[in-house]
Amino acid sequence: MRTEQQTPSPPQGPLLSVRHLTLRYARQGWLRKKTAAVTAFQDISLGLFPGKVLALTGASGSGKSSLARCILCLEQPESGQILYRGQDLLALSRAARLPLLRDFAIVFQDSAAALNPAFSVEDILAEPFLIQQRGISAAERRRASCDALAQVDLSRQILSNSPFELSGGQRQRVAIARALLLHPKILILDEALSALDLSTQGQIANLLLDLKERNGLSYIYITHDLAMASALADDVIELSAGRVVRSGPAATFTANLQAGPQALLVRSAASDTVPDPETSWTSNRW
Amino acid sequence: MVRTGQRLLHSLLLLAGVSLFSFALLSVAPGNFFDELRLNPQISPKTVASLEQQYGVNRSLPVRYAHWLGSIANGSLGYSLLYRCDVGSLVLPRARNTLLLTTVATLLAWAFALVWGILEALHRGKWLDRLGGVCTSLLLAIPDLLLGLMLLVLAVRAGSVFAFRAYLGSGGTAASEASAGLGSRLFLPVLALTLGILPVLVRHVRSAMIVALDAPFVDAARAHGISASRVICRHALPAALNSLLSLLGFSIGGLLSMSLITEVILGWPGLGPLVLEAMFARDTYVVMAAVMLSAAFLIAGNLLADILTYWNDPRIRVVSA
Repeated sequence: MRTEQQTPSPPQGPLLSVRHLTLRYARQGWLRKKTAAVTAFQDISLGLFPGKVLALTGASGSGKSSLARCILCLEQPESGQILYRGQDLLALSRAARLPLLRDFAIVFQDSAAALNPAFSVEDILAEPFLIQQRGISAAERRRASCDALAQVDLSRQILSNSPFELSGGQRQRVAIARALLLHPKILILDEALSALDLSTQGQIANLLLDLKERNGLSYIYITHDLAMASALADDVIELSAGRVVRSGPAATFTANLQAGPQALLVRSAASDTVPDPETSWTSNRW
Repeated sequence: MVRTGQRLLHSLLLLAGVSLFSFALLSVAPGNFFDELRLNPQISPKTVASLEQQYGVNRSLPVRYAHWLGSIANGSLGYSLLYRCDVGSLVLPRARNTLLLTTVATLLAWAFALVWGILEALHRGKWLDRLGGVCTSLLLAIPDLLLGLMLLVLAVRAGSVFAFRAYLGSGGTAASEASAGLGSRLFLPVLALTLGILPVLVRHVRSAMIVALDAPFVDAARAHGISASRVICRHALPAALNSLLSLLGFSIGGLLSMSLITEVILGWPGLGPLVLEAMFARDTYVVMAAVMLSAAFLIAGNLLADILTYWNDPRIRVVSA
């Protein structure tokens, strides 16, 4: 059940490896010790290869976004390893981890909430520079911001606008521009297209594929839309109730979609139990 | 600009409404300043009647209200029957003292509350947060009156230099001694007021910061490697400020009313003791002046909160454009 082991071996090793990662949210009473209350995901392993798109699919609550937050070290998992450039991010101190995390960026689903409403687009785009590349002049920052906007087909006219003055599609493009500013190696798209209309979804999906070709980016694409995942991704991992239930090349997932409905997703959303790998309609494939 | 003008006009109308309502309530209450004289057998009812006539206490409500409005126009704010002087010259130095006390207490309370509330929010569910919760619950449970008395007792027991040397009069006349005296006189009343309002502010700061820290744009900032201090100061705190600024207006008004009790207990020469004496003596114009100053502080506090919110949140500026 490990993608890392089961995906056909590409010529080079994975850029990012997640090994046996488990995250549990603890509950603590006034006088009681911490007790594990909710298992977000359990024993997850995956590998992301350079220049590839790995889709994480599954019903709501299956642990996709929590996994992304763990990869970005926004959550502290209970056990497991996150290996990037041969180093375990979880074993490093915050200071030692920060330079490595600069190779990661994330785009959230709700762009209206993910962009600070008190900032202008210029402030939003300038902030990563301000923090991570001290010494860069204001003019250089502005030029880099304009370049980033041009990359996502946005005019520099919007630099002075606030996020709430933009459309949903424009905001999502600003979020992508911000994510690309510091030339990350891995871009995590957490339901980044789900809140958009079909036409904007198509435009941004094309843009993402374009950027992947141009910049050699690797994506972790989180979605519950299996069709979109199959269209965009090279490999797909499906989670249910915090466990991997299927994984493999995107083409095989498309075949499965045609063969059967997304019943597994529906069932896993309604139930807390992990589907039995022996009886699941696709489990024997992996 | 138009909106600011409307807001100011609204505030003036509110003040006018408060004045009319308060004046009417004071007039409806039975008795007047001269009732005590009637109990004195050495003073004839005729003398009392002529005094009432002289000071106009038995005139109709509209006439007295109009007379009072006239006294506001000339700055005297009416005549105090108890202190036998213009209310303006009596109340304004006291109001300055009260303002000094409440300003220092407000600044201190907010400074502590911001640090304490942010620390609790950052350590949510941990021992620091729990300890803070216990402390704020204890402070909330103690009434302001009791808090003032407890501090007074503690100060006496500890032989505090802060309060009593100044209260009893050290006799010094030098400027340095005067400022040191002011500091030591302020200490207990400021402490009482600050401790009184602190738990409410801490709880609001904590909850507003927790909501702000959970916002997706804060996660996005963290994910982009932005330092924790910048995430707090540039992202979470401004987001939390909107709800806290509304509280600032109320806290200014609340502190003023709370200071009246504290001033009486701890002997601060502000509006509190003056208003208390004036109320017992039915010295209407002094009470009216104190009520109007309290209302003006509350309205000014809310106006300040509105202006700060307008400055802090660009969404409001767009809506109002």
